[in-house]
Amino acid sequence: MDEEYDAIVLGTGLKECILSGMLSVSGKKVLHIDRNKYYGGESASITPLEELFSKFNAPAPDETYGRGRDWNVDLIPKFLMANGLLVKLLIHTGVTRYLEFKSVEGSYVYKGGKISKVPVDQKEALASDLMGMFEKRRFRNFLIYVQDFQPEDTKTWKDFDPSTNNMQGLYDKFGLDKNTQDFTGHALALYLDDNYLQQPAIQTIQRIKLYSDSLARYGKSPYLYPMYGLGELPQGFARLSAIYGGTYMLDKPIDEIVLGEGGKVVGVRSGNEIAKCKQVYCDPSYVPDRVRKKAQVIRCICLLDHPIANTKDALSTQIIIPQKQVGRHSDIYVSVVSYTHQVAAKGWFIAMVSTTVETSDPESEIKPGLDLLGPIRQKFVSVTDYFEPIDDGSQSQIFISESYDATTHFETTCLDVLKIYKRGTDEDFDFSKVKVELGEEDQ
Amino acid sequence: MSVSSSRGAAARPNGAPQTKVCQFKLVLLGESAVGKSSLVLRFVKGQFHEYQESTIGAAFLTQTVCLDDTTVKFEIWDTAGQERYHSLAPMYYRGAQAAIVVYDITNQDTFGRAKNWVKELQRQASPSIVIALAGNKSDLAAKRMVETEEAQAYADENHLLFMETSAKTAVNVNDIFLAIANKLPKSESVGGGAAGGGRRLADGEPPRAGGCCK
Ligand SMILES: Nc1nc2c(ncn2[C@@H]2O[C@H](COP(=O)(O)OP(=O)(O)OP(=O)(O)O)[C@@H](O)[C@H]2O)c(=O)[nH]1
Ligand SMILES: [Mg+2]
Repeated sequence: MDEEYDAIVLGTGLKECILSGMLSVSGKKVLHIDRNKYYGGESASITPLEELFSKFNAPAPDETYGRGRDWNVDLIPKFLMANGLLVKLLIHTGVTRYLEFKSVEGSYVYKGGKISKVPVDQKEALASDLMGMFEKRRFRNFLIYVQDFQPEDTKTWKDFDPSTNNMQGLYDKFGLDKNTQDFTGHALALYLDDNYLQQPAIQTIQRIKLYSDSLARYGKSPYLYPMYGLGELPQGFARLSAIYGGTYMLDKPIDEIVLGEGGKVVGVRSGNEIAKCKQVYCDPSYVPDRVRKKAQVIRCICLLDHPIANTKDALSTQIIIPQKQVGRHSDIYVSVVSYTHQVAAKGWFIAMVSTTVETSDPESEIKPGLDLLGPIRQKFVSVTDYFEPIDDGSQSQIFISESYDATTHFETTCLDVLKIYKRGTDEDFDFSKVKVELGEEDQ
Repeated sequence: MSVSSSRGAAARPNGAPQTKVCQFKLVLLGESAVGKSSLVLRFVKGQFHEYQESTIGAAFLTQTVCLDDTTVKFEIWDTAGQERYHSLAPMYYRGAQAAIVVYDITNQDTFGRAKNWVKELQRQASPSIVIALAGNKSDLAAKRMVETEEAQAYADENHLLFMETSAKTAVNVNDIFLAIANKLPKSESVGGGAAGGGRRLADGEPPRAGGCCK
């Protein structure tokens, strides 16, 4: 450990592992440390099942749960957008070759107490029970407009400048009602709240395009999920970092981040050992005095021995409950994966209900999500603080990631990573630095 | 039986009928400097470097072995040095159908560490994984610290394949891979307990190491 590094990364959550990989690939000498003896931090998948039960102080699972080691339960639920940033990162860095994925079978949205499939193309829109007949036609026209829209080609804008006009304006142009706006903004564009309505429409158009491009890639839904759980993702990027020379130490407590002149970081200390460095990249848990609480997220892990009603027995789904449907400011997310993803024993399903906390009684806030699940065999609730760094790290050269938000996809995660990388290195990540040959892997 | 080159299409014996091709993930485990990378280098490229650098490098290499009626393609994973501080990610041996656990016959500690790896694999890896124990550096018999009989007895007890190898002189290197190839199940039904039906995301999707024949 007593060496000098360009960067020391603390914590092996997904963001830190992606950063570590990018830094190593860029030729930086990286030391990557975690205080835990496993990879993943907050984004680990817990195995065996007994470990999950004891983590939440529940009595050990009985034999109906099958073999404990067949379970890999995520602490933070998320899906990958098939055409999203994380998939781009995975493919460009070659990390995808360590992982296998499955498409999520369906994407649903909640309206008036029941759930309906999110319509994504014209055919589905016309068949959907979310809208009346005339509204369907208006929505269809809207979808065609978005699909044909090209940022560079003003002809496709149809007399509507999406960079000066807001999204509400675009909805109004097509005469879409509040319900349609609701599932478009929240289930297609994946906004957490309604602030986007007042923002330039271009952002929302691009998000809807991402949704439909993702859908076009693999079918049934725009989402992917890795076999064996999300915990595989940080491990994959950690391997990338190691292949490019990154040094890994787990089970290594960090006692101090050592500062030098002007409060600039010069190293980290563990016991009597000090590793010198020019920069530190870390998650909020390593620097409690350099982050502030932004919000709280409630997540409820539910173990089910049946699929969710009204999803055609889907083996994986996402359900979005738009805020307005249940009188809230932020959406409630439900994600479901199952034994077919090697995250549960045969016949079992894992549902996660999560949202940003708005009241002093967070558990009752997620009730609309829990009510969709049917009988729940076991429930684990956690309320965690969501932290953000108090500064941009330019002075201290300590670059801190934000906690994982309540969204069920990784777009915000990747944006945070790319932002931090840019802050730390003063440049955008150059994907061409990943050697194409990567040893001899490619045949 | 023969070992063919790693590049290009799987070589087939002259005039032999179409054989089926099975792909397997094989991982190497063992203390640093026991010769994991050297064994792979010998097997895949027929080379040996006296001053092999500690591994950071290729993520995995492939090598094909031809049996009578089957071509076995190994996807060989090296640890990328992550085991050095006991920080190997479980993902590494996830879905592996075979493992070679390597120790250095001149170093008793590495044998102890190898036993721990075997335990770890039996606990964490696929139940049907084929494990081979390799006592490497057999050319250094003068400095031997681990007796062949001791290792053989341990291997028998734990149902492991066992050979003493030398990456330097090539003794038993091809043989240990061939022995593994022979022991691997090559029918569709007996997959390595690996993922069922997942897909890789690359644009030109390589076949996945699913343990079943294509
Ligand atoms: N005499 C002898 N030396 C060997 C043999 N195999 C490997 N070595 C030497 O042992 C040293 C370490 O070999 P590596 O192949 O790098 O070992 P490794 O297990 O891959 O080490 P890490 O990558 O650090 O985990 C090198 O100097 C090799 O030349 C062998 O069979 N005989
Ligand atoms: Mg090596």
